[in-house]
Amino acid sequence: MNSEQSAMQTMQSEAVAICHVIKGECITGAGAAYRSGGVPFTAPLLDLDTLVWPRAEPGPAFATPLTEIIDVLVATGDYLRRDPDGLLASALAHLAKVSTLPEALLARSYAGLHNHFQRRSLEFQVEQELGGFDVLDGWREVPCLSGRAARVRAFPPRLVHVLAGNAPGVAALSIVRGALTKGVHLLKIPSNDLFSATAILRAIAAVAPGHPVSRSFSAVYWRGGDEAVEGTLFRPQFFDKLVAWGGAESIRSAKRYIGPGFELVSFDPKTSISLIGREVFESEQNLQEAAALAAADATVMNQQACVSSRFQFIEGDVDDCDRFCAALQRELGMERPAATPLGKPLPEELAQEIDALRDLEPDYRVWGDGDGRGLVIRSEQPVDFHPDGKIVNVVPVADLRDALRHVGVATQTVGVYPLPRKAALRDALAARGAQRVVTLGRAALQEPGLSHDGFFPLHRFVRWVNDED
Amino acid sequence: MTTVRRQLLDKIEDPRAFHQSAHELRELQLQAARELFAERREQIPLLQKRAADAGVDEIRTLADLVPLLFSHTAYKSYPKAFLDQGRWARLSQWLRTLTVQDVTQVDVAGVRDIDEWIERFWRAGFPLLATSGTSGKCSLLPRTDADRQAAERHQYYTMGFQYPQRPARDRHFFYLGPRGGPNSGVDIGLIHAQQWGRPDSIHFLSDEPLRLADTLKMVELRKRMAEGSATPGEIAAAEAEAKERAARMAPRLAELTEKIIACRREPMFLTGQWAQHLQIIETARAMGVRDGEFHPESLISAGGGVKGIALPADYRERVDAFYGSVRRSSGYGMTEMLQTLSKCEAGRYHRAPGVILLVLDESGTQLLNDRSDGVVAGRAAFLDLSCEARWGGIISGDRIQVDCADSCPCGRSGPTVLDSIARFAPPGQDDHIGCAGTIDAYIRGAIDA
Repeated sequence: MNSEQSAMQTMQSEAVAICHVIKGECITGAGAAYRSGGVPFTAPLLDLDTLVWPRAEPGPAFATPLTEIIDVLVATGDYLRRDPDGLLASALAHLAKVSTLPEALLARSYAGLHNHFQRRSLEFQVEQELGGFDVLDGWREVPCLSGRAARVRAFPPRLVHVLAGNAPGVAALSIVRGALTKGVHLLKIPSNDLFSATAILRAIAAVAPGHPVSRSFSAVYWRGGDEAVEGTLFRPQFFDKLVAWGGAESIRSAKRYIGPGFELVSFDPKTSISLIGREVFESEQNLQEAAALAAADATVMNQQACVSSRFQFIEGDVDDCDRFCAALQRELGMERPAATPLGKPLPEELAQEIDALRDLEPDYRVWGDGDGRGLVIRSEQPVDFHPDGKIVNVVPVADLRDALRHVGVATQTVGVYPLPRKAALRDALAARGAQRVVTLGRAALQEPGLSHDGFFPLHRFVRWVNDED
Repeated sequence: MTTVRRQLLDKIEDPRAFHQSAHELRELQLQAARELFAERREQIPLLQKRAADAGVDEIRTLADLVPLLFSHTAYKSYPKAFLDQGRWARLSQWLRTLTVQDVTQVDVAGVRDIDEWIERFWRAGFPLLATSGTSGKCSLLPRTDADRQAAERHQYYTMGFQYPQRPARDRHFFYLGPRGGPNSGVDIGLIHAQQWGRPDSIHFLSDEPLRLADTLKMVELRKRMAEGSATPGEIAAAEAEAKERAARMAPRLAELTEKIIACRREPMFLTGQWAQHLQIIETARAMGVRDGEFHPESLISAGGGVKGIALPADYRERVDAFYGSVRRSSGYGMTEMLQTLSKCEAGRYHRAPGVILLVLDESGTQLLNDRSDGVVAGRAAFLDLSCEARWGGIISGDRIQVDCADSCPCGRSGPTVLDSIARFAPPGQDDHIGCAGTIDAYIRGAIDA
């Protein structure tokens, strides 16, 4: 008993204390203890009353002009770039302790956070997704076929966001989209990123203290599935929609609250793949080029992102394919903007599963070790496990169309090499369920203003309300 | 078999088997592990490879065992394509890397499914076992007749080890599972039947042997759903079949329940899953049976079957109350072990002298209980010294607490595993959320893994 007690004490003294941000105010306190991947942390006790914006009143930014909101976001981006108070530096230091990503990669990700806040990008999103500022700032005239006058407004919503923590950009993206729609937003932060969302909200509070945008956001932690919190808050009386990342895991318990008046907007969990045409074998230069591009797509956030390619289908025979695999494996260990040469070593179970395949040549062939530098497995059929942590499964096919049967509703990004092959494949890929077809090597470049997981987020976030004469 | 190992394994027959000094045993266990490793590394290709990779050429301390432990996935690391495409000889070659036996000589020509492949092995003198494979693949566990005998002896001496009687084939026997099949749970049921059951009163839930192909058919459908090629009709048929199979078992369980109730005032041996016990209670209630009417020398155990089944929160209490003050037996271990741990009167699990109990850190790389005498928490791992066909070193996904003290409150020796066994949370259930995921999240219903 004594040893357990002292173990508990050690645990608490080592625990990381996270803060909450509620309507622009930073809240500290260690009222509740949790664990994240074995690392203990504490969070302030939740006061549920502070987490809602009563429907009797419009949200703080409902009537704020979009240009003013964009000014605040641009100033926030500038603040994030400079980090004058060391907010990001401190968040990064803490995040590195609980994240599955290497600190160097997180640091690069943090250094690029301000890019989400560029004026032209913000304006472009609104123009592309909603057709202009007018429909957010007021009522857009719609001359109806009957001759009746009517107006429509992209009305600010009340949203709960269940954030993903595999990349800090998720928090930035959610805050930007939330601010542009002017609504009120409760962000449930994930245990694998307890720091990014609150750091960005504190940046907003620093550049625009008391501003409606700042007062429109809260970011807090509760353990996902906690009935006392979700059962109380997830009601149409408080929120219009649940915006959930991560699919089944994050909505396993939340989905029973979905019903009339409380809608689900889901950024589903996805797998991404690559389709590499026989052109790759036309020259050694093509082979090297395609291997580098394929590695870039596979290693996005050290393969922790939904856009990271995991299965690569290549047109060729086994010998050609093996040349590609060897080149690809070398490329997986290179330094890239969104990847470090050395990822985490493979989890033991996966390492053992792959080890077994090494003994199964010629049906299977494995390049690389489980040391985190990247590993390639060539097999006739896709492997049974989910390649993760810089692992690519390369499958030779006679024709890229043969790979279509491995594309489904869980397929997000499909990288195609070379570019001219894309047009002939895109309809078949989309029909199967894929959501994004890109030129090989460009998977990481997600353009603001284009669709995400099959929909336009700003368009889905807002409530479309009519005024009809 | 080497003398030290034999000496340790034979201790199970000693009435003081669980009263051995932990300190003395530790030295013997280390010696036995050293001898066993030296022998097995020459015989089991995968062990040889692991040893070479880890640079371990001799077991000098228990920590040397850590990089040599196999994860349970090792026994299902074959590509499923071998089953789908009927490449049975390749499957045998794969199995060869995990066993001391030359299993590639087993004739697999003309084999049509996994059950037939396993049957060929049994006929050739390799009685291998499998897990049910609901997660998508079944583990295949090589075994010899000597392994079966070791399991029999272990069960003989440890089933209900806190009670004086040993098995005497003199009681009514009920096993709420199938009468045959290459599965370790079923196999232990058969061992118990033979050891405890009165030859004229041995009852199984089903006389149909367990078939892996039935389970794997569901897995196959799941794969086709993932590919998008399964039709709504096929999905509906599979759902209906699952319901029908459950419905078919219900009258059989009701029939068995009547027998159980009729024998309740005489000693019996009854093993079933929690949900099955609850069904028995329901039927018994309707028949007017009250709590605590069972013979006090009856040996009743419950376990498993809680995955994916909605049980009332107080299911344990209900079962405890219904059977009353009978003898209850419960164990802890892994399918890959021949010698499971037995629960004592103090609610702790004791390992047999022939099992080395290791507690590792969460990542499974550091040994935590080598020189400790307090309570150590971490990942459970074992070296089962009795395994003849396989390497007995295995690492689990369980988080356990081990009291390394020399003695247990029950009076036997330590170390003991406390009654707080839990699974390490897999990613996702630890509230870690990411945008990357697989098709598994999109499939639901009876086809669910």
